[in-house]
Amino acid sequence: MQSSPYNYSEFVANPEEFSEFALHAPKATMRAPSFPLEDLATGETVQMSELWKTQVAVIEFGSFT
Amino acid sequence: MATGAMDDLAGRFADRAVRSVFIYTREAHPAENYRHHASMDDKRRNARAFLEHSKVRRRILLDDLEGTAHRAYGSLPNMTWIVGRGGMIHYKSAWTSEADVADALEGVLDFQANRAKRQWVAFYSERSAWSTRDMAKFKAGLERAGPQAVADYQRMLEANKASRAAPAEEVGPRIPGNFYRTEDESGNR
Repeated sequence: MQSSPYNYSEFVANPEEFSEFALHAPKATMRAPSFPLEDLATGETVQMSELWKTQVAVIEFGSFT
Repeated sequence: MATGAMDDLAGRFADRAVRSVFIYTREAHPAENYRHHASMDDKRRNARAFLEHSKVRRRILLDDLEGTAHRAYGSLPNMTWIVGRGGMIHYKSAWTSEADVADALEGVLDFQANRAKRQWVAFYSERSAWSTRDMAKFKAGLERAGPQAVADYQRMLEANKASRAAPAEEVGPRIPGNFYRTEDESGNR
């Protein structure tokens, strides 16, 4: 069975989603992975590691919907 | 989402060397008014609409279209993570509770300020957390997204009717954010 695309067009609860977060995503005390992100205000590329280079980073994930 | 409360938290901790950001992911409940992202322009457009509506005061950073960062961090729709100076993960939460984040953040700042002096050593730990679910606000968000979002969520409720009709005494209504199973469900009596 083909897995659903990341940007799904229709919300369907995924019972595996929480397990992915709890069991397979990085855990507390691990090193945080870093990825490039785009600043909405400026369009500049920001490496996540820049967020915690000199400060503590509080990172909330979300969307409008 | 507790957007305003998290903005307030960001303001309270900003002068204590804490940087707070909001990472914009895929749409959790796409519908007629705010559709799923087929391009980065779609994602930017919805993120700007979110900014306009929510007046978020934190820096908004967009993940890429494929959700590379979001997927690496576990893909849940409203997680919060705290990463210490240097890159160690101190906190990961399936949902966002401002009170829980603030509590954890005080601990992280204490650890970072005093670990050398007090010879503290970090170790792994888990605990549960809790928050109030504002269903009226959540439903208003679904309606703002469009009728499809309301219908999609209703369909999920119908599918989960049995477990939702009988919330566990220990954890309250079921949400996709904990491992709990009743004795009957787990087979452990």
